[in-house]
This record gives sequence, structure tokens and C-alpha cells, in this order.
Amino acid sequence: MLSVIIKKELKRVFTDRRLVFSAFILPALSIFIMYSLMGVMVEKLQDDIVENIPTVYIQNSPEGFKSFFEESKFISEVDYIYIDEIQEIEIIKQEIRDGKIDLLVEFQPDFEKGINEYKGTGEIPVINTYSNSSKEYSSYAKNVIFGDLLYEYENLLLGKRVGDINYINVFDIDKNNENKDLADEKKVVGKGLSSFIPLLISILLFAGAMSVGMDAVAGEKERGTMATLLVTPVKREVIALGKIISLAIVSVISALSFVVGIVGSLPFASSFLAPGSGDFDISALAFGVSDFTKLFLVLLSLVSIYVCLIILLSIMAKTVKEAGAYVSPCYMVVLFLAVLTGFGAEQLVSWKYAIPIYGNISAIKDIFMFQLTWSHFAINFASSLVLSSILVYIITKLFNSEKVMLAK
Amino acid sequence: MIEVKNISKSYKLNKKQMLKEKSNNKTKIAVLDLSFEAKENEIFGLLGPNGAGKTTTLRCIATLLKPTAGEIKVQGYDTVKQSKEVRQRICFLTNELKLDEHFSPKYTMEYFGKLYGLDDNLINSRRNMLFDYFGINEFQNMKIGELSTGMKQKLSIAVSLVHDPQVIIFDEPTNGLDIITAKAVTDYLKELKKQGKIIIISTHIMSVAEKLCDKVAIIIDGEIKSRGTVKEIIKENQSEDLEDAFFEIYNCAIMGEI
Repeated sequence: MLSVIIKKELKRVFTDRRLVFSAFILPALSIFIMYSLMGVMVEKLQDDIVENIPTVYIQNSPEGFKSFFEESKFISEVDYIYIDEIQEIEIIKQEIRDGKIDLLVEFQPDFEKGINEYKGTGEIPVINTYSNSSKEYSSYAKNVIFGDLLYEYENLLLGKRVGDINYINVFDIDKNNENKDLADEKKVVGKGLSSFIPLLISILLFAGAMSVGMDAVAGEKERGTMATLLVTPVKREVIALGKIISLAIVSVISALSFVVGIVGSLPFASSFLAPGSGDFDISALAFGVSDFTKLFLVLLSLVSIYVCLIILLSIMAKTVKEAGAYVSPCYMVVLFLAVLTGFGAEQLVSWKYAIPIYGNISAIKDIFMFQLTWSHFAINFASSLVLSSILVYIITKLFNSEKVMLAK
Repeated sequence: MIEVKNISKSYKLNKKQMLKEKSNNKTKIAVLDLSFEAKENEIFGLLGPNGAGKTTTLRCIATLLKPTAGEIKVQGYDTVKQSKEVRQRICFLTNELKLDEHFSPKYTMEYFGKLYGLDDNLINSRRNMLFDYFGINEFQNMKIGELSTGMKQKLSIAVSLVHDPQVIIFDEPTNGLDIITAKAVTDYLKELKKQGKIIIISTHIMSVAEKLCDKVAIIIDGEIKSRGTVKEIIKENQSEDLEDAFFEIYNCAIMGEI
């Protein structure tokens, strides 16, 4: 009898083209388009910043700097103007604020003299820079182009001071060391994915079950079809379990469709999902049988908690609208707990794995980082099982309550 | 046989409900000490105004509600202790019972047939018979949402009869139906009576009760004020028809309260 109910519930969802599109296809498609688009745009923005020629004003430039700069590779990367006039400074600063000029580099008057006459004590000459951190071009001109340029210029002056530029280089770090990062490649990829996949999956599992779950229970009550079901000889417990299991299946398929969307977008989205790490190589994430077993069971326990919560709150409502009012705050709590997992220690203390939802999401994170121990898994699974059982018990009690099921 | 023995049903009211009911009493008595019997080959009618307790009584018989006191036996099975056995033998129909509009009549019959534990062959033969009778055949693959109100009601009846129940409980059978569908429904109830079924209906339309019911009980404010065959009740109250007799009884009941 249970299979009859489950089949009917699944048929209800999967033969409704609008529901299939909105619950499964649209989320995957939108996350794929959104992530890909964001990835491409971030990459384009980065390229644009690098290709842009910033306008830089250099005040009181010493002759030595001029000749160093004009012979360096940086000369082609900036549009530069030397100035001496002090009265122009405020106008230039305003234009930096307005984004029309990118950088002002101000050498202290008699900069070169100060360098040459420095004897190891007293104040050293100063270079002031004025940029606009809210503008990408300005930040790049200051931090990247002039950061490197002034570092090399300083090295040149140091070389002159000690007599030989080679003397200033005392040691090299990792010059010929090709194996400097001993981290396991799969753990590097896993760590990258663990920052957003568990969070997304946990939220999406709930979101996927929310609308379908509210409709399956509160919707049936509202439409009057629940009463038709209740006068059949099928046990109320079986009806409740049928709804719980079918909703869990819907939730998992919905989350899977999201994951397909995310994985599909990775080739385009790596610059936005993991800036600076290069492309994601999912194949490096070599999950073993035990990892898959843990992941499957943790996801299953999380889904059962979510589904039971949604059904429990929907039973108490008379309409889908009322169910929405009960389920939405619950969704907020799930969001809060999911976000909270991003702020914990690298590995939680054992008892925290027993906290429902929070413990589950943390366990999923640990699986991606290949650090979920069997004891932590057991704590999490047992606590989820206990909570789900309590929720199922309450749900079946409510299904048997005439006050709840036939309330008007 | 249906045996209703001294049943009462009361509800606890919350503050909002107390305001709605304009009552200071935290408990609302829906039915009080109700007793009657309904037998094979007859249609038993519960008559009364809205809110008299008709639906509550029928819901108690259909196992949807548990009586606060008293007991109900359907074919010898207790509605509280043996509710599954009772549900196997009854069908409960009301205009509030709806079918999922997304599915087709054909699938809905199959689904409910399986819930009643019938095999595919039996479901098919029951479906063919009921769809033929109610003229649903040509619409059986359409979505229920696309059917007319009358056709939906006929389908509801067909679905509830899929397991060929011995007891038919029908709350307000013609309420909200057009005249053609209402006739089809009442004709089918007569047909079921001929087949030896026990039929119990509720209605506030006296002409329906007069034409259809063999025995009636008039309920006012949760209590049975009169009971018997239609002829007996008309004679007892020296009235011309059942409607006059009903108002006679109703006025007496109201006067008694005052």
C-alpha cells in the first residue's frame, strides 16, 4: 500500500510539466547560467583591468626614477604625466575621486638628495601615493603596477648604496622547488568545493522539498482531497510515510539537478568560485566507497529531517498559504545554520556533530575535505535518526488527529 | 446494519471560535445522545437545518470523527476500535470530498481501487461498469480539472463505489448539483437500494427526503426530535407534507428552548 501512495505522489509531481520545469529544470538551468555568466564576467573584468592603461601623475619625479621608469617594462603599461606644480594637486585628487585619473605618486622634494645623503640615521625620504580603492583601475595601478615598479626601484637604489645589486639578494625562496606544496591534490580540490557545495546542497534540499511538500499536505487539505484519502481503509501511518518518502525522493532529485547545474558551470565559473586557483579539476576529487557511503547517508539523514519538518508544519496548516507562513521561518533557520558552518573551526568538537542540520552540513563539509571520521559520522547519523523518528511519530499522531486533519 | 447508540460529540472551542459561536461556553455540543438504526434495502435520511449535527453524525459513522460518548457499529464493526474494517465496507461522499484535478478519471479509479486492495481485473470491471452507468467513458483520459462540475460529482460517486461497498453514506447528495446530475445521483441511490445496500444520507431539502428516504430522523440542535417513516412523521404532526411536518417540529423545538 505504501508503494501505491509513493507512486501516486511521484506521478503527481513528475507528470506536471509546470512543476517539473519549476522544481527541477529551472533551478539547474538558472544556476548554470548565473554561475557561468558570473564566471565569464569576472574573467572579463580581470582581463579588462590588466589591459587598461591607467593614467598616473608623478610629482617631483627625480631624474634617476625617470630614467629607471622609462627604461623599465612598466613604461608601456601606464599613461604617465610628470608634474611639478603644487597647485594642481587638489584638482588631481578630485579627479582620482571621480575616477578620471587613476593614481598620483608624489615624491618628496629633494628625494634623490635625501637618498644620497642618508647615513643610517634620521628620517628616510618619503613617496606618497593617492589612489581610489573603490575603483578597480586605480587599485590595480597602485597595488600591482606601481607596487612592483617601486619595489624594483628601491632595489636599484639599495644596490647603488651597497655597491653591487647582487649583494641585496640574500636568499631565494623555492627557486627550483617544484614540490613546494605537499597537499594532496584531491584535498585541495575538496577544500575548494567544501566552501560552497555543502552550503548550497543543504539549502537547495530544503528549497526543493518546500513547495512540493506544502502542496502534498496543506494543498490536499485545502482542496479537500485529503479527506477522500482518509476515508479509505489505508492506515494513516502509511499515508504519512508515503508522503514523507516521496517528498524525500523529490527533494534529492531537485538537489541533484542543482548539482548538475553547478558542475556544468565549473569550467566557466572557476575564476569566480575559486579566484586564483585556476581551473577546477573535479576528477582529482577521488571519493572512495566509504566517502560515498558517508555522503549518501548524511544527505539522506539531512533530507529526512527537512522533509519531516516541512510535512509536520504543513499538516498543522489549513491552506498552502498558511503552510508557507509556518515553513518560511524554518527555512530561515536552515539558512542561518548553513551559513554558521562557514565560521566554525576547521574540525568541530565531537558533540557538535549531534546538532541537527548544523552537524549534518558540517559532516558534508568534512567529507569533501576527507576528514570525517566514522565516530563523528556515527554521532551525526544517530542524532539525525533520533530526531527524524520523533518527527515521524508526531506526524503520524497528527495524521490520526481529527482536530488537525478535518479542521476548518 | 448501522447501529448508532447514544452517541454524543462535543468540541473544545478556542477564544476565536467562542467569539464566532457567540458563546461563553468552552465546549460546543455538536450532537447529543443520538440513536437510530439503518438497515439493508432502505435509505435512511438525517434531516435538519445547517449546523444541526447531520455532517458530524455522518462523519462519526464514516470513522473520520470519534464520538465523545456512545458507540456506532457498522455491519457489526465498531467505528472506533475497528475503523479499518468499517472503512473497508463503507463509502463516504460529500461535496467537500474532492479528487485531485491533475489526474485522469481512469487513473483515479485505479489508484483508489488499489487503496481498497482490489486487483487489476476487479478494478477494470468495476470501472467499466461505473463509467458506463455515469457516462464517464469518453472523458476517462481527460484531466479531472477539465471536467464539468456535474461530471466531477458523478466521478466522485464512481470512485467512492469502486470497492462495491455495502454501506453508502452521502452527505447532502444533491447539494450544488444541476437538476440533471441531481436526478442521476438520486436514481443511482435508488438503484443501490434495490441491490440491498444500506444507504444513509443527510439533507436539508425536504422534497429530496420525501422522494428518496424510507425512514428519516429530524435533527435540531444536535438532538433527534422525531423519527420514523416519512408517512409516520407527516401523520404524527398532522401535516400535508414532510416540509410542513419539519417546520411543525422545528417550531416546537424552538418554542421549547424559549
